[in-house]
Amino acid sequence: MAFRYESGRTLGAFKIFLLLILVVGAIGGYIAWDRGFREHPQPDWVRATPEMRFKYGSLGAENDAGIPYWIFYVLPRMFPEKLPGPGGYASLGVPWEEGQELPVGFTKKTIGFPRVANNCAVCHTATYRTKPDEAAVFVVASPGHTTDVEGFFRFLIDCAKDPRFNADNLMSEINLVTKLDLIDKMLYRFFVIPITKKRLLERETQFAWIYRKDFPDWGRGRDDAMNLTKYFMTKQPMDDTFGPTDMPSIWNLQKYKPEQGMFMNFAGDSHDPYSVIMDSALGLLGAAPAHKQDFLDQVAWLHEYLTKLPAPKYPFPVDAAKADAGKELFAQNCAACHASARTGTRIPLPEVGTDRNRLDSWNKNAAVIANKVVTDMGLTRKGLVEATLDGYIAAFLDGIWLRAPYLHNGSVPSLRDLLEPAAQRPKVFYRGYDVYDPVKAGFVTQGPEAERIGTRLDTAQKSNGNQGHEFGTNLAPGEKDALVEYLKTL
Amino acid sequence: MTPYNDAPQNVRWRRRFFVLLLLIVVPLVAVALYLFQRFGGDTPVDYASSEEQFKYGSTGGEHEMGFPYWIWRALPQVCAEYLPGPGYESLGMIFEPGKDVPVGTSRRRYQGVDRVFLNCAVCHTSTVRTEKAKAPMVISGMPANNFDIMGFQKFFFACAADPRFRKEYVMAEIDRLGGNLDLLDREVVYPVAIAIMRERVLTLAGRFDWIHREPAWGPGRVDTFNSAKVIFNFPMDVLPPQELSAPADFPSIWNQRPRQGMNLHWDGNNSVVEERNKSAAFGTGTTPPTIDTARIKRVEDWLLDAKPPKFPFPVDAGLSAKGGALYQQYCAECHGASGSDFSGASVGKVTPIAAIATDRRRLDSYTTELAVNQSTLYAGYPWRFTHFRKTFGYANMPLDGLWLRGPYLHNGSVPSLRDLLEPAAARPKVFYRGNNLYDPMRVGFVSNVPEEDGKLYFEFDTKLPGNSNVGHEGKAYGTELSADDKSALVEYLKTF
Repeated sequence: MAFRYESGRTLGAFKIFLLLILVVGAIGGYIAWDRGFREHPQPDWVRATPEMRFKYGSLGAENDAGIPYWIFYVLPRMFPEKLPGPGGYASLGVPWEEGQELPVGFTKKTIGFPRVANNCAVCHTATYRTKPDEAAVFVVASPGHTTDVEGFFRFLIDCAKDPRFNADNLMSEINLVTKLDLIDKMLYRFFVIPITKKRLLERETQFAWIYRKDFPDWGRGRDDAMNLTKYFMTKQPMDDTFGPTDMPSIWNLQKYKPEQGMFMNFAGDSHDPYSVIMDSALGLLGAAPAHKQDFLDQVAWLHEYLTKLPAPKYPFPVDAAKADAGKELFAQNCAACHASARTGTRIPLPEVGTDRNRLDSWNKNAAVIANKVVTDMGLTRKGLVEATLDGYIAAFLDGIWLRAPYLHNGSVPSLRDLLEPAAQRPKVFYRGYDVYDPVKAGFVTQGPEAERIGTRLDTAQKSNGNQGHEFGTNLAPGEKDALVEYLKTL
Repeated sequence: MTPYNDAPQNVRWRRRFFVLLLLIVVPLVAVALYLFQRFGGDTPVDYASSEEQFKYGSTGGEHEMGFPYWIWRALPQVCAEYLPGPGYESLGMIFEPGKDVPVGTSRRRYQGVDRVFLNCAVCHTSTVRTEKAKAPMVISGMPANNFDIMGFQKFFFACAADPRFRKEYVMAEIDRLGGNLDLLDREVVYPVAIAIMRERVLTLAGRFDWIHREPAWGPGRVDTFNSAKVIFNFPMDVLPPQELSAPADFPSIWNQRPRQGMNLHWDGNNSVVEERNKSAAFGTGTTPPTIDTARIKRVEDWLLDAKPPKFPFPVDAGLSAKGGALYQQYCAECHGASGSDFSGASVGKVTPIAAIATDRRRLDSYTTELAVNQSTLYAGYPWRFTHFRKTFGYANMPLDGLWLRGPYLHNGSVPSLRDLLEPAAARPKVFYRGNNLYDPMRVGFVSNVPEEDGKLYFEFDTKLPGNSNVGHEGKAYGTELSADDKSALVEYLKTF
């Protein structure tokens, strides 16, 4: 009797103990899910208009590539010396609308805790001003000529490498700006901060080539797009290639007709707009999408939005008579490539003669692997062109006025400069200042403010050659001016 | 080991155990309760009258930046040589009878320490003497014309860096002042507080290092938005030179209700009163988690309808009526129908810099980069800042209480209204700021006296960067009126 009594009591206590563990475990599990992983949709204002959605809508990159919001928030305050200048993230030239909590192209989403990631708009939104003393105009889907993408990558890595990047310092800085509850404080201190540090430190090896001293900086408005794809998506070993290119405009995608032999990207590396959007979005995610259907919906939406989005109109007056004369010159000198069946197709390198480094940064094998990676994610698109590519695409010229600097590598500051023989084009200039020069048709690239804000591009450095495309360079100066006047109307 | 003997022994041990437990637990609980009572509270000193609350009430800044009361009291003696004269008075702070802290400071007991720090009134309250020998009136809401905030900052920065900012010196001075601290305060709280304050102030000193390279702002002025850059820890040493040296006059802050929606601040960079107020509250040491929104709201509400005092000298009614007509013709569109009716097509709007042509440093000190960073302030709170905008000129201000708002223009570069009606070339090139004696003829404070009873006034040199007295001139600005018309206009402006 006694034994049974005793054992019954033990069993009872054990059951209670077990139950307690289960309850505590369940509560703990719930808290862990709620504060660590529970997804909340972005607030409604984000999708209030298509333009807002393009600028601030999440692609789902917060899951794997997201930076915890409060870490993102305090880093510029803790490590201002690792930024190019005063102004926090604004010093990286990111387009940033006044009144907005985050720059354009930065998305905030709560997955357990608020996180910040990027979308297409960070590289595809331009600002311009018609004079220094005025507010900038923001143009979505245009080349993000001000954004220093490389600077942003480096900033995060450099912060993580700094010994001051630790839970004590970050928490004391975070406590100055917000009141986290005890659970969030613990979560930040013991998980979020150490994991973020580890993740960012891993990037140092992944990004090793952007620290190479023999490669120039990408500078504002450029990224080494194919190497990013090659090293991150296809995990190819690093080679010695280097081919940063201008951020392209991505409006009016309906002009691309793959069925007529047109290809996308500077070298015609991709088959169609849908593939480019998907691959670029995957680049931002840095991993397979956590929610495939949401991802596909967002890609489809972007495709539809960008297909019909028109190029912006030139904001200064145009001399109509001069433009008319220029139209004639355009027909004689430019139309054969830029307004013909050749437009959107690949022009062999010997014919166009521009810098070849971008071509060398990609290869057939990489395309094959990249296509397989995407297919293995269960995603379907026509994808990258599995061939050796030997030239650059003859560009459509819609909205060409806002697509400065020119050539695929952004090595020529203005349209007027592009009409000069390579030897007479500027050898050194500054990119990323957003005051427009209506005379030369391009941004202001010289002078104290352009030099203070912009990043220096030296055409003698690797991949920065401004040679080639010496078409129309023999026209008389007056003819060149007229041609530029016409180009403003496109 | 019979059951008989077992029980009492058990009981005995149990009793011993409980006694022991009580001996341990009771004192522990008592100590815990005492410590909780001693260090747990967060109690600001409040005032029944809203005006007293404005002058002495808390914004919450003491949480982060508050000086323990006795340290605040001791420092002017411990570091006396870093002050221009005896005590905080020498920096232009105002001590009213019966108060142990000056106007513009508040007290709060937090974490067991009585703390003192600044509130809005420190920059927005001043004194006026109508006659040399008369006692000054204290006027809430007017620009703190005599408060030298740069001197105030430099005093604390220098003192914190001084070897005497140590408990040996500070505690001795506290004793001399009759601090009468208890054992815990003396041995633990104050020594720790001294170390913490030293570190806090030195951190801030590092971030404000740039002020040592700036021309003195002098009393009544602050470089508002370069100071705001410090919130974000902008690297001030690499700021482009045109952004620096941008001191601006403290403004008057009466009548906020009709100002809602106007372009506020000298360059009109924000249009929401509450956001502007929270922004200014950073200057009183507040942070988003520690700001005392309830108390700020009380002051904010009072300021909605707070009124300036009337001009205390006689006004010539006939002359003023003539001036009124000129005012309507020349000034009303930008500055409002009167001192209380702020209607006018351009009131509260920004006039482009090329048109107003006043010193542009204050304008250039405010950048788009700063504006977008300000929109991250109060992130996570419903009142995150969303209204800061870079502008390209200066805002047209309503003129309520204008007589108390001299020197004039955003940088306080023109001593009187009468001077402002002269073309820039005829305005005083050098004058003295910081005198609270009123000049009812020129309408402004006496500005030609360099020294009074041993007190040196601040020499304002219009040639220094940020101090230019040009602009707001030409036919449209009344500088081409006849001398009689100018006198009439000035007479009318006395009624504002």
